[in-house]
Amino acid sequence: MWDNPSLRCLLAITFLHLLSLIYSQETGFPEAPENLKCITHDLNRMICSWDATSSANLGLTYKICYTNSEHFSLVCIETEGKRADIPVTVGSTNIRITTLNASGTSLATETFVLSEENVSLIPLTPQILNLSADFSTYTLYLKWNDSGSVFQYELDASWQIQILRKETLETVALMNYDSKLTGKDSILSWNWTSDIPLECTSYYVKIRCYINEPYFTGRKEWSEWSPIRTVPEKDTKPNSAMVFPQDKVVLVGSNVTFCCLYNEGESIKFMNYGSKSYPLLRLNKWSSAIKVQNVSASISSGTNVWCLLEPDGLEGTVLFVGYAPDTPQNLNCETRTFITITCSWNPGRATALYRQRQTKYILFERISKENVTCKVDELNKEHYCDFPVHANQKIYNFTLGASNPLGQAESSLLIDVNQRVHLETPVKFTVSTNSSTNAHLSWYIPGNFIQIRLLCQIEISNSNSERQLNVSMAGAENSNYRAWVDALHPYATYTFRVRCSASEHFWRWSKWSEEKKLTTLEAPPARGPAIWRERSPVGETLTVFWKPLLLSEANGIILSHEVSCYSREIMLKAHEVPVPLNSTEIKLGGNDCLISVVAKNRAGSSPPSRITSMDLPSDDVKTELAIAAGNGIYISWHSDPNVTCGYTLKWCISSGSEPCNVDWEMFPSNATDAVIKSALFQPGVRYNFSLYGCKHNGYQLLQNITGYMKELPPKVAPNFTVEETSSDSILVKWEDIPVEDCQGFLKGYILYFAKGEKGSSKTSFTDEENKTEKNITDLTKKSLRILDLQGKTSYRLGLRAYTVGGIGPSKDLYVVTKENSVGLIIAILIPVAVAVVLGVVTSILCYQKREWIKETFYPDIPNPENSKALQFQKNICEISKLRQQLLPASSLRPEPCRVPPLLFGNGGNTALKTLEMNPCTPNSVEVVETQSTVLKIEDTEIISPVADSELPEDGSDPETGSHVVVSYCPPIIEEEISSPPIDEPVGSSQVIYIDIQSMYQPQVNPEEEPEINFVTTAGYKPQMQLPINAMKMESHSPTEEDLDKTAGYRPQANTNVWKLDSPDSPISIQSNNENGSFGSPCSINSRQFLIPPKDYEDSPTHNNTGWSFTNFFQNKPND
Amino acid sequence: MGESFFPSSIGVVPLLLMIHCRLVVGKALPVNTPSPMCENTHVCKPNVAEQTRKLVVLLNATAQDLFSIYLDCQGDPFSSHLDELCNANGTNFPNFDVNRTSHKKEIMVALYKVFAFLNASLGNITRDQEELNPTAKELLERLHNTTKTTRGLISNLTCLLCTNYKVSQVDVTYGKSSKGMNVFKKKQQGCQVLRRYVQVVSQAAQVLLPHLSQA
Repeated sequence: MWDNPSLRCLLAITFLHLLSLIYSQETGFPEAPENLKCITHDLNRMICSWDATSSANLGLTYKICYTNSEHFSLVCIETEGKRADIPVTVGSTNIRITTLNASGTSLATETFVLSEENVSLIPLTPQILNLSADFSTYTLYLKWNDSGSVFQYELDASWQIQILRKETLETVALMNYDSKLTGKDSILSWNWTSDIPLECTSYYVKIRCYINEPYFTGRKEWSEWSPIRTVPEKDTKPNSAMVFPQDKVVLVGSNVTFCCLYNEGESIKFMNYGSKSYPLLRLNKWSSAIKVQNVSASISSGTNVWCLLEPDGLEGTVLFVGYAPDTPQNLNCETRTFITITCSWNPGRATALYRQRQTKYILFERISKENVTCKVDELNKEHYCDFPVHANQKIYNFTLGASNPLGQAESSLLIDVNQRVHLETPVKFTVSTNSSTNAHLSWYIPGNFIQIRLLCQIEISNSNSERQLNVSMAGAENSNYRAWVDALHPYATYTFRVRCSASEHFWRWSKWSEEKKLTTLEAPPARGPAIWRERSPVGETLTVFWKPLLLSEANGIILSHEVSCYSREIMLKAHEVPVPLNSTEIKLGGNDCLISVVAKNRAGSSPPSRITSMDLPSDDVKTELAIAAGNGIYISWHSDPNVTCGYTLKWCISSGSEPCNVDWEMFPSNATDAVIKSALFQPGVRYNFSLYGCKHNGYQLLQNITGYMKELPPKVAPNFTVEETSSDSILVKWEDIPVEDCQGFLKGYILYFAKGEKGSSKTSFTDEENKTEKNITDLTKKSLRILDLQGKTSYRLGLRAYTVGGIGPSKDLYVVTKENSVGLIIAILIPVAVAVVLGVVTSILCYQKREWIKETFYPDIPNPENSKALQFQKNICEISKLRQQLLPASSLRPEPCRVPPLLFGNGGNTALKTLEMNPCTPNSVEVVETQSTVLKIEDTEIISPVADSELPEDGSDPETGSHVVVSYCPPIIEEEISSPPIDEPVGSSQVIYIDIQSMYQPQVNPEEEPEINFVTTAGYKPQMQLPINAMKMESHSPTEEDLDKTAGYRPQANTNVWKLDSPDSPISIQSNNENGSFGSPCSINSRQFLIPPKDYEDSPTHNNTGWSFTNFFQNKPND
Repeated sequence: MGESFFPSSIGVVPLLLMIHCRLVVGKALPVNTPSPMCENTHVCKPNVAEQTRKLVVLLNATAQDLFSIYLDCQGDPFSSHLDELCNANGTNFPNFDVNRTSHKKEIMVALYKVFAFLNASLGNITRDQEELNPTAKELLERLHNTTKTTRGLISNLTCLLCTNYKVSQVDVTYGKSSKGMNVFKKKQQGCQVLRRYVQVVSQAAQVLLPHLSQA
């Protein structure tokens, strides 16, 4: 209609005219219409409405006049309302509206010019025809009518659909949907999937429309929203609380929202997915949700999702999380019977879904367009499905489809059924025979194999061998198949089994049938037994030996052996020997014959084995040694050109007390060596062999051989003894080891020796570090002298024998070498000689210097008569009194106050003489005075350095004492002799010798000691230091030592270096005297001896680090 | 073991199975409909009472393990929220209101009601668990064993009731069929039945001992 230009022009003119009228209206009347508005829903008619005051005049009507665009005629209509439905005109239209009163009188008239721009295109409000929900998929399905018939031509339409939820009508989604209006009514549909279960809350939907008319110049607006529609509730809405979604199956890794619905009066405490709690999302007053991200595979019974409600109650649901089916792997289709084709496959990754939710498989064949549903067990790894074989169809194109709630997958395979024959296992397998070498086999294979040939493999095995026999045969339908096997061994047990496949296109073997055993019948022995003979020493009898035949040679059970003796083809003797005997004795009677032995079983006799009885003499048969080969004995011999019919090596193995079993082995004439093996050979056992040569006229012993299969170390140690022992050597002798204990050819002995005593911790020589060993390889040697040993030393000896197999055990002995007598003698003689020489030298020196000694030590005593000393007799008496006080009563006798008689010893002419006072040369003696009384002392006892050295017990300082210088006559000694006088030849000098022993006796009362403290500062000190108190020498004060150093005269011996433990020491234990030593080795006053007396050696403190008799006798030989 | 305990039930068991197959699907027998329970019952063997007691003892000995394994196979919260989930009030498990002083006949009737209900429920539970836990072999084996023992026990009880106590009809109630229930409800119902079963079979073992030992 709008395409007509003339019509458009007319409409435009009309609109312009109407507009001019509108703007030319006078609006002075209240009833006059105004604000004309027009809208169109279908671009065909429009609804115009206006405003007018009508409150004062009821019953007003309006007359609307417009120009009809089709007929260009004025059309007027009356209406009581303020709206009118008029056609849409092109361009401008003049609309005149007249207000009429009840009587039809015009009250006011208004003319409007209505152009298209002032008309609004507002589609009709769409109506939702249907709103449904699929709760399992959370999907809403919406249907509505597009009202396309409203428009006469095609138009583009847009639809806007709004999804709202909850009571608060929250917009969830605002979706656009475009369609094309075709001029006819169409039902449009649209769906939307929610992210949460639809049961969780209320959903609402509304829709509106927009018409996109490109040529319409007026305003195009969206239609009104359709009436809101509510998603229908689930039919099975429970009264109690519930959790959604229920029993849903989702993919691993999905994000799932669960909601818990509960009733009024309840509230939710928490909500868990499995054992994990999630934060609650409140959906509405009675619903809360949780969102679980990236769910993992569930257990077979699913993952429980549950909410705990208050005041009590627990509701839940189960979510199954798994995988979509994997692509079937290793799809293989084959036929076993030509009745069905069996396809098998591996399902691949487990879906974690079972039973109702497990993967379902459908096998589809594209050529025949048939499919079968496969019943598989998800728990089994291997899946199978059977498809029927169609007649006249060889090629099959299979597609295996797998599907579960989460997805689907498929796998394809194209096969020629004739090339995929995998036969069933042969059954009813039987084996039979009626001969010694043949067997009949029969088996059954189910299936129809008429169109193919079969290839069957028969496996024949026994204890020694295994072979396989392939048999091709025509196929049959459900038939028995037969085969014939020959070349079997007589009287042998075989195991048979069979398997089959297609012959032409081999695909796979069937499984082996069950095994069947069969023993073939007996046959005569295949050959005669191996024989040997031995003549008795005198040659009257001949013992014939034979070896039992092998099972493979016997062809049955050997019952007996027939032994015959032939001479020039005439049988002289024959007799049958039953098993198990393997030898017999024949009396030759001095004649030789040809021995024949035949083995017999139930089936017959073996060919005969022959050997001559003649032995040739042997001269100078040597015995050689064989070589142990580990698993046998290696024997070699020299080739003998006269040997024409081979060599025979014979040996005999004895076991325990039974007679030895003769065994032998034969070799061709060109053989020169062999390794003899026998199960009876044992390591370490010596075997003797005899090598016979077969010559044209008999057997000759060529050589004896001894050997071991394997040499071992000797079993025992050689028995050895010590024959002789000296101070530096040991002679050892040993005996041979018995042959049975050698376990090999003896190669020598190893003698170990090392210092060691019996009972030491070391148990073997291997631990010994300083051992010495001697290798004795000369086996004829039976003794050995070990040299360069130390005397009087204990040695440990060990002797071991050895073979190629190793070193045997050791036997140990302990031996002590003898003492070195020369050394002993030297050790004695040298000190004695030294002592004698020293003594002689000393004596000579003393003799030569006797005058000097006398002058020095014992000068002549002056005549007392000429001495002024008598004038001091009173004083001397006083001193004597004092001595009496100091000496013990037992050693003193009351003496009158006189000069005491002195004893003069002169050999046997001892006589008492009055001491002749020689002129005295007084020495200056300084006396330390401790008392007020000044004593003039001439007695050497008083001025004894020992006494001087003694500290007073009261601790008084001797330095503080007063000094008294007295005249002193050294040789004058007054002493009361308590022991018998000793005559000493001291030359011509008359010297008083005082028994030193008597002076050891205590003579001083300690309480009186403080009264006589003297200190000599210088001058002469006598060689004898007589004690006047019991003070110890060790208590020398430093002052005294200083005095000793500064003294003009010193004794010839230093008392400090004298041995205090000498039995003659003044502080000897026996003497109980603590005085210091005195005298010198040269002094005739000395009691120290240059050569110790005999009892000196018995001193308990003797410390001799060299040899001693005691040590000598402690080391005794080990016997 | 079970077969030797109820040799007299050769003819009764098929009938009971037929009846219980109906019961499994949730159709309760009309209370006043004449029961064919005694139709094929013959004279009980002398030791049937002792056999019955031993069967109850056996069920009591295995009930707790069955329940524990069942809970383990259902996943959380069946072990952690037992009281909220497995409240026995949610089932129609028959009351066992007899004690040692009750009459033997009352005890036999109560036992029959309990184990008839249990037999039907075990059918539901076994079917559901074979679907949900096909790999839980121990659970399924225990369910099968318990069902077999329960059927033997029902056979013996039927014999005792019909022969010794002249009871030819017992009104029995059964639980709801789990068919159509969601998986969680199936698990829950099994839990409720087995939990109550553990309690009742313990009471039965206690109550049964003095009565049957005298028989």
